[in-house]
Amino acid sequence: MKTPGARMVAGVRWRSVQALWLRHVVALMRIWKVATTWYLVEPAFALVAVGFGIGRLVEEVEGGMRYAVFVAPGIIMASAMIHAIFECSWAAFYRITGGFYETTLTAPVTVTELALGDVAWAMTRALLTTVSVGVVAAAFGWITSPWAVGMVVAALLVGMELGALGLIFAALSPNTHTLSLVFTVVATPLYFFSGSFFPIAVLPDALEPVAWLLPLTPGVHIAQGFAWGELALTHLWSALYMIGLTAVILPIAIRLLKRRLVT
Amino acid sequence: MIRGRDIVKRFGSTTAVDGVTFSIMAGETYGLLGPNGAGKTTLMRLLSALSPLSSGELLVGGLDVSRQGRAVRQRLGVVTQQDGLDTDLTVQQNLETYGYFSGLSRRESRRRAAEVLAFFGLHERAGDDVDHLSGGMKRRLAIARAFMMAPDAIILDEPTTGLDPQGRNLVWEKLAALKASGVTILLSTHYMEEAATLCDRIAIMHLGRILDEGTPDELIQRHASAEVAQLRMATDARAGVRTALAAAGHAWREVGAMIHVAGHNGQRPQMPPMDGVRVTYRPGNLEDVFLAVAGRGLGDE
Repeated sequence: MKTPGARMVAGVRWRSVQALWLRHVVALMRIWKVATTWYLVEPAFALVAVGFGIGRLVEEVEGGMRYAVFVAPGIIMASAMIHAIFECSWAAFYRITGGFYETTLTAPVTVTELALGDVAWAMTRALLTTVSVGVVAAAFGWITSPWAVGMVVAALLVGMELGALGLIFAALSPNTHTLSLVFTVVATPLYFFSGSFFPIAVLPDALEPVAWLLPLTPGVHIAQGFAWGELALTHLWSALYMIGLTAVILPIAIRLLKRRLVT
Repeated sequence: MIRGRDIVKRFGSTTAVDGVTFSIMAGETYGLLGPNGAGKTTLMRLLSALSPLSSGELLVGGLDVSRQGRAVRQRLGVVTQQDGLDTDLTVQQNLETYGYFSGLSRRESRRRAAEVLAFFGLHERAGDDVDHLSGGMKRRLAIARAFMMAPDAIILDEPTTGLDPQGRNLVWEKLAALKASGVTILLSTHYMEEAATLCDRIAIMHLGRILDEGTPDELIQRHASAEVAQLRMATDARAGVRTALAAAGHAWREVGAMIHVAGHNGQRPQMPPMDGVRVTYRPGNLEDVFLAVAGRGLGDE
């Protein structure tokens, strides 16, 4: 039988990854009106509330920067994280329990390819929300540097890393109660302690290094560097740290998914 | 077309498939008949390379399932017990996505999806949400999905479990049409009627083993009596009926509200006189075969 789309890269059939990604695009297009609230409206609420509200009370942070300018990249990365985690934990969990993964595996597809397709989509979601909320922030004058376009790099890194982490929860959770831990134990602490809302230097000395090790912190750091047009070598280290973490997390996630799906 | 030799599958200390050997010819419809827990689903998962063998050899179309799983899945249509439909997509999009996963171009997927939908009588529902389909339609869509690549062979794990009689008949009709077109079919079922209606050959499966194999007629001749008496009675008459049957030297089996009595040596069983009992006779069937071979009924828990 002919096998078009059989291009393989390191044992990974490219078509499978592409097909899952495309499936997600088709599913998103069917509900784009509702999806707009996830990608744009809700994170924009957070941005506007914090930017105007808290920005009024806290006029300036380090070096005379307006609070709204300080907080914008962090809030955008927080939204990118939520999208990546939601896709790869919650949505992927239902793809497991609903049998979608299993039936897709009856096609010439492997678990690794499904994981890569889902992570690729998590990156896409992170990118979509970063661009849409970024435009809002720019419209308010809270993002001014042309370098801010580079925030897409931070978005892709956050999507990749947190997407891989989300898959671990999808693979391990027996039910939605345990699955919800990904939000209470991972997403919420990361939301508040990754340098989005206040500089990490504000934390007690003992906690400061811990905050730097959290997986979202380097993403926020990179996004801030681009948003403020202040890039340094530390942003490169941050990117390498995120890539390194993904290189550890993703193989674990794939292994756990295999254990759950192919027994 | 499909050949298995000494197939064993263990999960920890339990052995789900315990040394199964079988062979299915091209164009044949082969049924695995057995109750829940017989190892049918496990065997189906081994065949579709969704689960690795503990030992033994399994070939599909000359390909080794253990080493060429991807190639096997490219050639084989698989219908899992769970429909596993994509509820975020429409009926047609479900098929197109699967075609694209399987290697068709997007245009070929669209064309083939339309063809397959027409064959399975779902073309009028092409744009509907999957959740709006009836159970029987969902099952037909799941089977249609396995046909996106026009496979020579298809395996179905309990294709009509959970369907109402009408839905079941429609699925049987489609499977019969596929069979007529020369497709090799392997199906598992715990409905003896399904096995008898569709299958050329049947394997009786119990506790991970194939106990016997043959055409439905062969199996019935070998293991069942030609005629079985079915006794219906009021509940309070049961005890008396048991006593009378025992006195007449009959073995019997209680099936729901009825008592079944098999005859000896192909004879119609002679019933002793009993009050308040309605007796009808039916030909021996695969249920009787299963009872004789496995020592329990298909529906017994």
